[in-house]
Amino acid sequence: MAHSMTPGQADLAHILIRMRLALLRNSLRGDRATNLYFGVLLGLALAAGTIVVAVLWPAYLPLALAVWLIGWIFGPIFTGGGDETLRPEYFAMLPATPRRIAAGLLAGAFAGPAPLVTLIALLSLPVYGWRHGPAGVLIGLAAALATLTTMVVISRVVVAVIGLFVRSRVTAATAGIVTGTALALSGNGWAPAVALGTTDTLAWTQTLVRVLPSGWGVAAIEASWPLALLILAANGAAIALLLLAWAGLLARRVVSAARGGVPARRGTPRPFPAAGGARIAAAKELRTWWRDLVRIQLLGTAFSYALVFPLLLVTIDSWIMVPFTGLIAIVMAAGVSANLYGVDGTALWLTLMTPGAERADVRGRQLAWLLVVGPAATVLTLAGTAVSGQTWAWPWVLGLLPALLGGAAGLIVCIAVTSLVPGTDPHKRGGNPLNTGADEGAESGLAWLMLVAVPTIALPTAAAILLQPWAGIPVGLLTGALSFWGLGRIAHRRLESHGTELLSLMKHGPAPQPTGKGTAADLPLKHRVAVTLCYCVAWLPTFPQGIVPMIFKIVGIQDPVWFLALHLPPLWQWPTIIFMITLGLLMYGYAILIPMRISSAP
Amino acid sequence: MSTHPEPALQTTGLRKAFGDHVAVDDVDLTVPAGSFYGLVGPNGAGKTTTLAMAVGLLRPDAGSARIFGVDVWHDTVQAKALVGVLPDGNAMPERLTGREVLTYLGLLRGLPAGVVAERTDELLQVFELDAAERTLVIEYSTGMRKKIGLAVALLHAPRLLVLDEPFEAVDPVSAATIRAILSKFVDSGGSVIISSHVMALVEQLCDHVGVMSDGRVVAAGPLADVRGTATLEDAFVGLVGAQSRGTEGLAWLTA
Repeated sequence: MAHSMTPGQADLAHILIRMRLALLRNSLRGDRATNLYFGVLLGLALAAGTIVVAVLWPAYLPLALAVWLIGWIFGPIFTGGGDETLRPEYFAMLPATPRRIAAGLLAGAFAGPAPLVTLIALLSLPVYGWRHGPAGVLIGLAAALATLTTMVVISRVVVAVIGLFVRSRVTAATAGIVTGTALALSGNGWAPAVALGTTDTLAWTQTLVRVLPSGWGVAAIEASWPLALLILAANGAAIALLLLAWAGLLARRVVSAARGGVPARRGTPRPFPAAGGARIAAAKELRTWWRDLVRIQLLGTAFSYALVFPLLLVTIDSWIMVPFTGLIAIVMAAGVSANLYGVDGTALWLTLMTPGAERADVRGRQLAWLLVVGPAATVLTLAGTAVSGQTWAWPWVLGLLPALLGGAAGLIVCIAVTSLVPGTDPHKRGGNPLNTGADEGAESGLAWLMLVAVPTIALPTAAAILLQPWAGIPVGLLTGALSFWGLGRIAHRRLESHGTELLSLMKHGPAPQPTGKGTAADLPLKHRVAVTLCYCVAWLPTFPQGIVPMIFKIVGIQDPVWFLALHLPPLWQWPTIIFMITLGLLMYGYAILIPMRISSAP
Repeated sequence: MSTHPEPALQTTGLRKAFGDHVAVDDVDLTVPAGSFYGLVGPNGAGKTTTLAMAVGLLRPDAGSARIFGVDVWHDTVQAKALVGVLPDGNAMPERLTGREVLTYLGLLRGLPAGVVAERTDELLQVFELDAAERTLVIEYSTGMRKKIGLAVALLHAPRLLVLDEPFEAVDPVSAATIRAILSKFVDSGGSVIISSHVMALVEQLCDHVGVMSDGRVVAAGPLADVRGTATLEDAFVGLVGAQSRGTEGLAWLTA
């Protein structure tokens, strides 16, 4: 007899949790496992920090929790659609209502390191509740669980909404613009707040962070008993509503035919130019940019961030960042293009099977990227500098623009072939177009690497401008041209010599080592600790203690703030700045080069 | 029969291990020039891995492969000009239409634009992909993907075709078209190696057969020699040692 009944809700949840853990266990191999351990360690440090905030600076607890919420909302958008270990498609044929499946999937979603780390951070709520007596602790505990559930469901709903509604270029660009604006706000959002009213800004932000779902727990603890219970009940109702929405979205997702993030309505394609080599590869790549909603969305994020970030400072009448709008756009656009070969998956086989196509493909990708990003970035730079009235900025932007453009166009292909992060082939991805199936930690690591490496390339140009403002233009042009040519050359040479290995990596994942031989591909632990440390800390000497005081000194700002160099006697200021920048660059160099050397060693 | 002295494809001692699992172990295959070669074997026998190593898409742990005497791993560019490949399950330039894929790859290979346009038109028509002019490859069905892959393999008029499961997921009408194209290609002096587990098809099309099992070649040679007096299917079952287990178990399904 056929069974038509699925297990009860608790059993279903239990089964999905076990399935998720089994999948997690199987995917934890080599570098991926180490990445996870370090991610968890970092998360635990942040969680401990949150608890410290609850003890020492309780007024800032709602703000700290809001940061966790923002992480849950925007994390998935940047790290490839969030965790999709349990894809809804797997359970499409299970005879159960979407709501029950959604509840089961939600339970499965908790079986992972991220919710656990967040829960530890949320223990700051009962810790904060202690100030209000035992009842406060009790409410804090309940609120911690409710807040965790809320954060996880919100994150899922956001991914589902994007996956389902980003079906046209307009919606993709809109989603990108919203993300970019939110990112810019989280960096410079204080500026308009200050501009709105200098006196009650604090009160205003205090209210805001309590109104956010992350702040309900604090609100409940601070409220009277009945009101606290009411807030908790409202939180429960919000969770139920979100779950209902998620179930509906999932049900629509598994039966929707549109896959792969392709715009639904398209005109008749324009014929290819009758060219060969790099030009034809660029034509292919440009079509890919235009027909991939994820790429359009990421570009939207990059450019809207670049536009909004400097403009927010204009609200307090500071125009200093406006000339650099285009330059920020270049760096951000390079960051979102870091895994250029990984996202195309095993399509690489065609390049490998076409004699001499490696060079054409690399150059074509570089050209296409320049065509996509270059004109807009140039217009933003020229317009931004002209409008801002910051005439001192002209030599800076005109020198840095070619250096950054060429540097980024060189780095994106170079890093894409040397540090490729394998994902799922585009035609095998599920109903979530954001999800590339790649190791999220490694993919965002690549983006960060790009955000650091691109500005680094422009440092010689910056140095030249310091010495002689207008020398920056020839140096910038030369840097850009050399980076474009040289890094591109490294990339296509590497593709010629290691293309087969890259293809295997994408087809079969990281090669399993024969047991007993040890994993040579993984970094030794001491190097891994050092590399992680360098990545985490190197920004400190490079930017705030190096480049920023350098700019302060050049522009003539007297306030030393927390910049070590500016607190020292004038004689020591320049040597300290140079030492700091050098130290930072050495740390970045070590962090980037050591893994490359070890992984390329036989 | 071709009078070419070199075999179209020759592999010697090919070996590949994934971790502890040896997928292909010491495989020697010879595809004579002008032959239609069928590589058969059960799932997981190592057919796909062997073909990928033979054309230069997967680096072998040991052994070598030659296409018309050209070493695939030493004179890579020269070897790749001679062969057309249909790998199993690889991605394509997903966000191009079928016409764009063929145009792009033809121009990338340096074929004149006129020739590319002409061949593209013809291939799209033959494989009945011309109706989907605005469909991107990522939106293709499994059968359509197979057909555009075949068109890509044929585009530059190679002398050897290496096709992994070319008939899988293809409808009967298209399959007949593909059979006709391949037979004509062999008649005009071309060489073909296909992998398949449809014995009847291999028996009907191929003049040479190789049987793989557990990463090794257990029999190879002209079709008549391999199958002897029996059918290929019986010979295959005898060689691979597979026993039909269909009659036991699953009692609950019929209860």
